[in-house]
Amino acid sequence: MPIYTQTYRTFDGEAPGRFRWLVVARQELRILLGQRAFLFIGVAAYLHVCLRILQLVVIDMMANTGGNLLLNEMRNFSAMNVDATMFFTFLRLQMGVVFLSCIYAGSGAICEDFSNNLMEIYFSKPLNWRDYVIGKCAVLLAVGLAFTAIPGVLLVLLHNLFVPSWATVQETYWWALSTVAFSLVLVVPCVMGVLASSALFASRRFASIAVFMVLVGNLVVGRMLSQLLLKPQVAVLAFPLALNRIGESLFQQRRIIFRFPVHWAWIYVAVVCVVGFLIVCQKVRRAEVAS
Amino acid sequence: MISLHDVRVSYGALEALRGVTCSIESGAVGLLGPNGAGKSTLLKTLLGFVRAKQGDVRVFGESMPKSAVKVRQRLGYMPEREVVSPKLSAVGFLTYCGCLLGMSRVDAMERAHEVLNYVGVGESRYRKMETYSMGMRQRIKFAQALTHDPKLLLLDEPTSGLDPEGRVEMLDLIGELARRRKVTVLLSTHLLPDVEHVCDRVLMIDKGRVVLDAKIASLTQAREGAFEVRVRDKKEAFVRAAKEAGFAPYAQLTGNILVTKPPGKKVEALFELARAAQTQIRHFRPVRQSLEEAFIAAIGAPSAPAAQDGSGR
Repeated sequence: MPIYTQTYRTFDGEAPGRFRWLVVARQELRILLGQRAFLFIGVAAYLHVCLRILQLVVIDMMANTGGNLLLNEMRNFSAMNVDATMFFTFLRLQMGVVFLSCIYAGSGAICEDFSNNLMEIYFSKPLNWRDYVIGKCAVLLAVGLAFTAIPGVLLVLLHNLFVPSWATVQETYWWALSTVAFSLVLVVPCVMGVLASSALFASRRFASIAVFMVLVGNLVVGRMLSQLLLKPQVAVLAFPLALNRIGESLFQQRRIIFRFPVHWAWIYVAVVCVVGFLIVCQKVRRAEVAS
Repeated sequence: MISLHDVRVSYGALEALRGVTCSIESGAVGLLGPNGAGKSTLLKTLLGFVRAKQGDVRVFGESMPKSAVKVRQRLGYMPEREVVSPKLSAVGFLTYCGCLLGMSRVDAMERAHEVLNYVGVGESRYRKMETYSMGMRQRIKFAQALTHDPKLLLLDEPTSGLDPEGRVEMLDLIGELARRRKVTVLLSTHLLPDVEHVCDRVLMIDKGRVVLDAKIASLTQAREGAFEVRVRDKKEAFVRAAKEAGFAPYAQLTGNILVTKPPGKKVEALFELARAAQTQIRHFRPVRQSLEEAFIAAIGAPSAPAAQDGSGR
């Protein structure tokens, strides 16, 4: 004879407030941080950051000691200089990691929820499609910026700490702003592209392959057309080149590799972001309110 | 709690609900209908997943899907399709559901364990969900619908994929929720015995229309003037005598005889006929309409008249 009744307690909790998307983002992040492959990508990304810190520390400390023979030698080697070019190069090299991490974290973000029929469960809770989309975007943005903007701004701060003067602040404040802006230019289209692919395809694998194929195809087509038509501005069709062009403009690089107007690159990136976002919204919205 | 007035829902040219009007206040209500009748669409309309083209949908007095987020805080939904979150355990999944419902992570985890105990998921709750059997997944789906102690439960085929023992356990839990915890349950299923086991009212739907809305007790009440009779021996003689006396007997394969009494005749006459045929009536009871017969009659299947003429379905 049972001595107690099997039951559960009553609950009169309040509905979650305005930041319901935060629950989605936190959960995604929790799952990501529990995956070894993702942690491996993170460690690889931060190895580069560590090398840059080392470069910065060595150069700045030598600058403080002054008249060092080795420093004079290193100044002749432009890649070792701490300047806007260093930050531009740092972010360009991080582009690969951002792309990989976004593919890893985002390619299954929406399609797996669809294929596992989780949308019905999520939207039967006090959650709407906006919360869901914002949560998914936020976590990928956070991941992307954690490998670009955050270490970039920290490097600028570190430089200011090692060479503390008003002149350094005046010289470097725009590096930080350009780093954040270029990081966003790299991360936002990547996030939108990967999420759009995840919303369009049925599995993580197809979504990843589709993003790779589109990117490679786009790069090849852009370069080929530019060569065939003998018009360098056509190279803007290659998306990575468009990103690079924006970076050159933001970091005021004199050695401009691609001679097409920067505003076309901005428009191209904006269009990719908007189209990606609209695809994601459209697909997720249909899961919540179908008609 | 639920009220629908002249609700029409379309998927493109296909009209899935055609002017559904009904209301549900409390208790367990079975939603019955053949495939494609509009049962799942009705549940999705109540959840705000589908927008009605016409009509008024209200849940807890709130208009849907306008107040969907507010309403979903107080209702639980168990979908028909298999649900699995491959990277999470049952505890992790239910905790996440709790967090979506506004609980802190600690509270959500506590409640996850409570409802998993309630639905009978043991130590396997710590395993990844992708390793679960169909029955386990069904229980997890049910548990997530209960995490926040909802006042209204919408269940879509809750016993599909369960073994007979699991099915009875699941139905008992649903019944208990309706009776003891006073949760309003809307149970959509193809299985009539499930509805008979749990529900006190049935809503039958066919081709997007409500064709029957009645208490199960009233549907299965004794049919006037129809009796099930079994005689000791000389069955043929009894049937012949009953026919000659104006009754409408029909011998069933089970050995029983269904007898319909004509107006003006008394039941006692059957006992006299048995005596005259030199036999005895050993079994005698009024015929009750089964839920299946009511269902077939409501959706207008061709076998419906057979049930009325005593064919013994």
